[in-house]
Amino acid sequence: MEKRRIRVLLFKPGIDGHWRGILTISRALTEAGMEVIFEGFETVDTIVEAALQEDVDVIGYSVHSGAHYEWNRQLNQTLKDKGVRDDFLVIIGGAIPHFDHEDLQADGADAVFSPGTDTRDVVRFIEENVDR
Amino acid sequence: MEESKKIAEEEEKWLLGTETGRERKDRFESDAGIGLKSLYTPNDVKGVDYLRDIGFPGQPPYTRGVYPNMYRGRLWTIRMFSGFGTPEETNQRWKMLHEEGETGFSAAVDSLTFAGVDPDDPIDWLEAEVGKEGVPLYSIRGMESLVEGLPIDDMSVALVVEPLTSAAVTSMYFNVARERGIPMDRLRGTTQNDILTMTIGYVPWHPLGPDDLLKLACDLIEYCTPMGEAPKWNPVNFTCYNYREGGIDAVQEIAFGLANAVAHIDELLSRGWKIDDFAFRLAFHLAAQKDFFEEIAKYRAARRLWYRLMTERYKAEDPVSKQFRFHVQTAGSSLSAQQPMVNIMRTAYQGLEAVLGGCQSLHTNSFDEAVCLPTEEAVLLAVRTQQLMREETGVADVIDPLGGSYYVEAMTGELEHRIWEYFEKIEDAGGIVEALKSGWLYKEMNKAFDRRRKAVESGEEKVIGVNCYTMEEEEPHPPFRTNPEAARIEIERLEKLRAERDSARVNKLLDGLKKVCETRENVMPVMMDLTREGATIGEITNTFRDMWGLWDVPMMG
Repeated sequence: MEKRRIRVLLFKPGIDGHWRGILTISRALTEAGMEVIFEGFETVDTIVEAALQEDVDVIGYSVHSGAHYEWNRQLNQTLKDKGVRDDFLVIIGGAIPHFDHEDLQADGADAVFSPGTDTRDVVRFIEENVDR
Repeated sequence: MEESKKIAEEEEKWLLGTETGRERKDRFESDAGIGLKSLYTPNDVKGVDYLRDIGFPGQPPYTRGVYPNMYRGRLWTIRMFSGFGTPEETNQRWKMLHEEGETGFSAAVDSLTFAGVDPDDPIDWLEAEVGKEGVPLYSIRGMESLVEGLPIDDMSVALVVEPLTSAAVTSMYFNVARERGIPMDRLRGTTQNDILTMTIGYVPWHPLGPDDLLKLACDLIEYCTPMGEAPKWNPVNFTCYNYREGGIDAVQEIAFGLANAVAHIDELLSRGWKIDDFAFRLAFHLAAQKDFFEEIAKYRAARRLWYRLMTERYKAEDPVSKQFRFHVQTAGSSLSAQQPMVNIMRTAYQGLEAVLGGCQSLHTNSFDEAVCLPTEEAVLLAVRTQQLMREETGVADVIDPLGGSYYVEAMTGELEHRIWEYFEKIEDAGGIVEALKSGWLYKEMNKAFDRRRKAVESGEEKVIGVNCYTMEEEEPHPPFRTNPEAARIEIERLEKLRAERDSARVNKLLDGLKKVCETRENVMPVMMDLTREGATIGEITNTFRDMWGLWDVPMMG
């Protein structure tokens, strides 16, 4: 049976307006044949609801404000509290120091993408790890 | 004529003698896609009339610089964009930079100050962003602490805020100066106040529409300049840098900037002012990107184009109205998170472009800025990079030293031509405001960025550490961290302010602002009262949002 297209929900937590990264990922994933739902600025609670309703496989978001620890913890905690953390692949990108990758993964992120990432690496990571 | 024919013949012969089949590439081109010859000769600048097209520094068309003696008189201003944590911590960094030789300040604000949101607004988890990417300036109290003990009557300060909050933040600054007894006509500085930074450079949370942003931008210009309230203040800085960072090329960078300036000029003319009432205070902020000679030619072409635009279209008479003055920032988007020390060299070359191109002030990036705000060590090195150019290299001793280079002059002419062509394309799309509303500008930006991404991913555009000369298992550099207590400190600062101020008076003034929003009069007089009395950035900006409504940004193009 043919696999369904990978569904990805992308958003920006908080109010920081550095959009170029998430817009670029959105275009690259769409080009790679994924179905991208781009939510814009949203709160974590709303995003988790939307992810469940839209039945997506991946939640991706971008942080350029330096608040990546905070948003990462809040998203993963909210998913855990609802008992749905394992339903999604959760990826984070943005102006994130490589120094912080380990901590972010320990806090629940499945992958972290820093500046200079080849968008094909993001596509590959999703394709190899998604659970459809 | 005789000589040019002879040169052409000799060039032909010379070309035959070179082994053209063995060049490294099939086609050499500039970053903006301009085809490059292997060598430029007098024949490539045949059409150039020295007095008409190049001339002397401080004289039309200002190709060689806007001041007669340029850096022989006064060196460019070392102006580092800086802000983080709390106003007090930023103040300490500014004092350190000043002691180390910085000659102008520039305030980076946090996302809340940028978007006009108070930290105690009930939006989900807002505290996470307080003081993270810049200094929090939520009321006059923050501004007082930011400039405490700094000689603001003697040194220029750039406030990097955009039309959502530029009127509010600038009025806080003006009020602090008044509190200190500094006359407004002694204040030198800049408010960025750029509608495109607020729309295509960065898309803020709950934005206003382009018409309302343009109105707010022009209110500040009008108040400072033609109304004469802050005559030495630059009330706008068309920030081509921020558009360029989104992936467009040098041609689009300048064309976007000129078209943006035209939107403001036309609005101010429609308010009844004359071009020479305000054009002398319009300034620009450009990028220094990778392509060394193209960038230098870009600065020269921009000066010539501005002169021609002011003379031919607007019939400006004041020479200062026709002088294109600009700040330069080296390109953040050219930095790599990988092998960050390489960024020091990138920045030095880019800084040199700006100086050879005749900038008025310069920010040099710190090597760690691809991933975080700079550490003290990194920012000091960036300041030293500028001091090295000033003190050791001799590059500031001769004006426009590349003027007369066949290549640079040919490139200057070619860019001028292409920028004007693209500028006309924007006008055909209805001008900047229409091109924003229709999504045309977003489409152009997205196209440009996709092209750039693919060039890097295919290896066609080389980035050391990213797609060539990569290294495995680099030890990551520990990033700079902002104060984790910033949110608590700022919320307490606001609570204290709210307890101390006359809130009934503030509410009455906010009603006054609503009225001004309805009549569309200039918001600045009431804004001066509001921030003096302790109104907060959120109270003010939410009034705009309530009165004018939000804009659904067509960012997908």
